[in-house]
Amino acid sequence: MTAGSQTAPLLEVRDLQAYYGHIHALKGVSFKVEKGEIVTLIGGNGAGKTTTLATISRLLTSSTGDILFEGRSITGLEPHDVVNAGIAHVPEGRRIFSGLTILENLEMGAFALSDKAEIARRLEHGFTLFPRLKERVKQLGGTLSGGEQQMLAVARALMQNPRILLLDEPSMGLSPLFVERIFEIIEAINREGTTVLLVEQNAHMALGIAHRAYVLKNGEIAMEGDARHLLSDDAIREAYLGEG
Amino acid sequence: MTYSDILMLLPVTLADGLVLGLVYATIALGYSMVYGVLGLINFAHSEIFMVGAIVSVEVMTYAFVGSDLHPIIQIAVAMVCAATVSGTLAVAAERIAYRPLRIRKAPFLAPLITAIGISLFLQDAVRFIESLFGQFIRPFPSIPFFDQQIPLTANDTISYKSVTILVIAGTMLLTLNYLVQHTKLGKAIRAVALDRKAASLMGVNVDRIIMITFLIGGILAGVAGVLYALQFGRVDPFTGFIPGLKAFTAAVLGGIGSIPGAMLGGVILGILEVLIGTYAPIFTNNVIGTEYKDIFAFGILIIILIFKPTGLLGRSTTEKV
Repeated sequence: MTAGSQTAPLLEVRDLQAYYGHIHALKGVSFKVEKGEIVTLIGGNGAGKTTTLATISRLLTSSTGDILFEGRSITGLEPHDVVNAGIAHVPEGRRIFSGLTILENLEMGAFALSDKAEIARRLEHGFTLFPRLKERVKQLGGTLSGGEQQMLAVARALMQNPRILLLDEPSMGLSPLFVERIFEIIEAINREGTTVLLVEQNAHMALGIAHRAYVLKNGEIAMEGDARHLLSDDAIREAYLGEG
Repeated sequence: MTYSDILMLLPVTLADGLVLGLVYATIALGYSMVYGVLGLINFAHSEIFMVGAIVSVEVMTYAFVGSDLHPIIQIAVAMVCAATVSGTLAVAAERIAYRPLRIRKAPFLAPLITAIGISLFLQDAVRFIESLFGQFIRPFPSIPFFDQQIPLTANDTISYKSVTILVIAGTMLLTLNYLVQHTKLGKAIRAVALDRKAASLMGVNVDRIIMITFLIGGILAGVAGVLYALQFGRVDPFTGFIPGLKAFTAAVLGGIGSIPGAMLGGVILGILEVLIGTYAPIFTNNVIGTEYKDIFAFGILIIILIFKPTGLLGRSTTEKV
């Protein structure tokens, strides 16, 4: 916990309960993310990580409990309103628009924006983070490799200039080299002032860059604390992270 | 019939086929775009088209018979009226019938049945209203201007009517193509068609884009209705069925969901239909008459779909991870 913060957290989730059909996917999840932090939500398959993010961005609406963004409840909003409030969500599986070019994918990220100069500025910024994308702006999104698609998905979300970036398993299916690179970029984005909520199965990597962490297990927060502390605690690693 | 006689018929046949094909294409776009964003075959679309045709006949009959206005302006006014009514109806169908089913996550057959229901409702509603005023088979007032001919080749002429239809339908198709490929709205429509959830994560109001897609499809169908009424001179509440089915076929032939595909499919189907209608009787000494043209057109469709089930320009469905 960040002690002594005076203002409301940027994002606060209170007693979140969610169902997938008859499956009780979230059983009262509470956590908060302070401005400027990287907070990671780790845990195994089916722990409820993706459900938590989908509930925040309102893709999933069958939930109870409250979600506060900058002190205001967002549970009544539609997904596009959540985005426009400043929450960008890079979903599981990246969901690149395969039939749009890379440039069009990025422009979709700035959909709410009509200021052409600002769009151009954000594009340039994206290209400095991901030079590889700049060489391929005319290429269709579907032709990129998994790692490149992940970069495009992050770059597209950054086009929204979000207050907080929700990342769902950015390392999934990537080669170790790409995983390293994507985590470096997440750190860089955070240094530039964007708050990050990172969902990861790769707990080791996530704890390496996060400030604080929550461990999800069977739809409940099983453990929380300082990321470095969790990383160095062997008992926790064995019990919750599945690392021997 | 000599070889040169057969060749002589070709320019006129192709021109007629192109006229018919562009009308099919204009209707087909509505099927294809709605299918693109919703995965729904909007069978009510043929009736949206029929209503456009009826509106144009009524506008021409009650506002313009005996009028001194230039016939092109008359047609333009009829087009605006038909497009307004058809566009409104298409949006109403989405808001009243399809969206509630979507919100309640109804299984995919429910909107399909609903579409057929709307289709029957519109047919009978129009029949009822027209019957109140007399015959429900409505003739398009004859306008001598459109029967004038201009030379096509050394021996052939083409009517002002056909030229008007070619120009209007061609303009609609080019405008739509520009809208979809080169504007922000078009990008949003394509994004929604590719991945609705991802589009909403970009801040796109998906329901609004779906509504606009219905509106565009309805406007195109309304305009196609005017062109159809102008070309064939007579409409009734059941006029929509066969052209609607052909336009749907054209959309499938071109690859449903694909906009260039719907255009290509419409043109191919129109030309095939007229070619076969003209030449089948000639080559078979009238054993196979013009009335068999649909059998050949649909037969060719079946063959193409056997070898290319996604249609000519359709993408194979991309796997979603």
